[in-house]
Amino acid sequence: MLKVTNLETTYNDIILALKGISIEVSPEKIVAILGANGAGKTTTINAISGIRKTINLEVEDGTIEFDGEILNDKEPYEIVTRGILQVPEGRRIFAELTIAENLMIGAYSLQNRGHFQTNKEMVFNYFPILSERTRQLAGYLSGGEQQMLAIARALVANPKLIMMDEPSLGLAPMIVQEIFEIIRRINHERDMTILLVEQNAHMALAIAHYGYILENGRVVMEGSSKKLRQDKDIREFYLGLSESGGRKSFREVKHYKRRKRWLS
Amino acid sequence: MIMEKIIDIIFSGLSMGAIYALVALGFVLIFKSTGILNFAQGELCMVGAFICYYFATLLNVPYLISILMAIALGAMLGALIDVLIFRRLVGEPIYATIMVTIGLASILVALTGLIWGHDTYSIRSPFIGKTIVAGKMVFAQASLATIVVSIVLFILFIVFFNRSLLGVALKGTAEDSDTAGLMGINVKKMHMLAWTIGALVAGVAGIFLAEQSFVHTGMSHTGIKAMSAAILGGMESLGGAIIGGIIVGVVESFAASYLSGLEMGGFHFGDIKDVAAFAIMILVLMIRPHGIFGKKEVERV
Repeated sequence: MLKVTNLETTYNDIILALKGISIEVSPEKIVAILGANGAGKTTTINAISGIRKTINLEVEDGTIEFDGEILNDKEPYEIVTRGILQVPEGRRIFAELTIAENLMIGAYSLQNRGHFQTNKEMVFNYFPILSERTRQLAGYLSGGEQQMLAIARALVANPKLIMMDEPSLGLAPMIVQEIFEIIRRINHERDMTILLVEQNAHMALAIAHYGYILENGRVVMEGSSKKLRQDKDIREFYLGLSESGGRKSFREVKHYKRRKRWLS
Repeated sequence: MIMEKIIDIIFSGLSMGAIYALVALGFVLIFKSTGILNFAQGELCMVGAFICYYFATLLNVPYLISILMAIALGAMLGALIDVLIFRRLVGEPIYATIMVTIGLASILVALTGLIWGHDTYSIRSPFIGKTIVAGKMVFAQASLATIVVSIVLFILFIVFFNRSLLGVALKGTAEDSDTAGLMGINVKKMHMLAWTIGALVAGVAGIFLAEQSFVHTGMSHTGIKAMSAAILGGMESLGGAIIGGIIVGVVESFAASYLSGLEMGGFHFGDIKDVAAFAIMILVLMIRPHGIFGKKEVERV
């Protein structure tokens, strides 16, 4: 469905952010991209969404292909009409608009306006709290509710692929759990394809089917989430678990630094 | 007697205020959606008046058609300005864009003068000189028409921005153009729409201004007063622009009838009405630096 091949991007013509990454998202699956700060997760998503000019991002090499069409030079709004919607990092809801208006804008790309009402009902089914406050300004929602609105805003357009950029950012663990459960349900019940970018590897691998580990602009590891969950290095560096499987105790940490195998 | 005088002052203040509010509306709209402080707003207003004068007086076209032509051509001029100049300047430093708008303002004045001359003309309107008598009060029809049409336009705008998809999308683009792009909105098209509507309301204001006074290139100084009205209202909401415009108009009207030409111990107040509008603006900004309806940007990270 979405196929990114050898993507290489620069910021300001100088800083090489992605050093040739390849990612594939197959239909009806949740694919996770994991990595630390600065690994290139958000850059990947923005390159796919076509946000280039405002952040001085340039695609130097490689292709972004969606349903057989190359999307490298498309503008953001053209990419949305192809059926790819982004839930941006930090939610980026329209704070000065009401919840109803936020959803209205979310459905802007909808060709058939007649579907808006049914889509809205479907979205309210996942996020009942939003349906009670449609006339309230979105800026007054709590962080978790804002994240729900951001997801709802993408979902209401009924896209083919939703890309979520760190839906867990700045939220309490319980809210994160709730939101990930909803993401899982959206994928499961609506066969929605989801590309999930996360730092919270534990949560992401719990719901994803497949995962990529990004470090310094390169894919260092990929595989089914089951395989990733069992990998020794992932367990240690991303999930914080010891070899015996329990939570790692820092009292027992040995005083040498383990190297990640993929660096040698 | 005094009551009637006050009603009369308020009435003429409202009709001037409606004009300021219309210009301020375009001003806020362009600023909010493109981030450009358009110092040529008053000039767009003047161009609208000249186009109407050209059709109505010089070509003898029926008045309603002249108005529609002026509004349509004015709106097209706004779109053209965006496509030719400001599309490339979105996101550039504000001092650069301000200077460009000031340059544009003088170019518009020069071009208008080149085509129609720099003299003072009057528009051949069916309203001019006609009045409506209600009891002891006499109202000018031109002023009445200004107020009524402005109210209709304001209502249309409020409905457009709160009910229609395009209006809501424009509001969204004004708040966060990157995210609007991510929702499938063609941001460039929205900027062009903002310029079109901004120029359209300026054109309407210009026609009304021409009806109440004359057509000349100097009428563009209304833009600066409208700008103070917009800043007074907070540069944030369309409602703020409307109320700011009305305040400036009414204050000016009171100053014109009570203070203008006053002499105090050898000092002449002169034509103080222009000062009054700015004095009010300074006073309000000293108390509320963000304007009456403006708010400090609160960012939640």
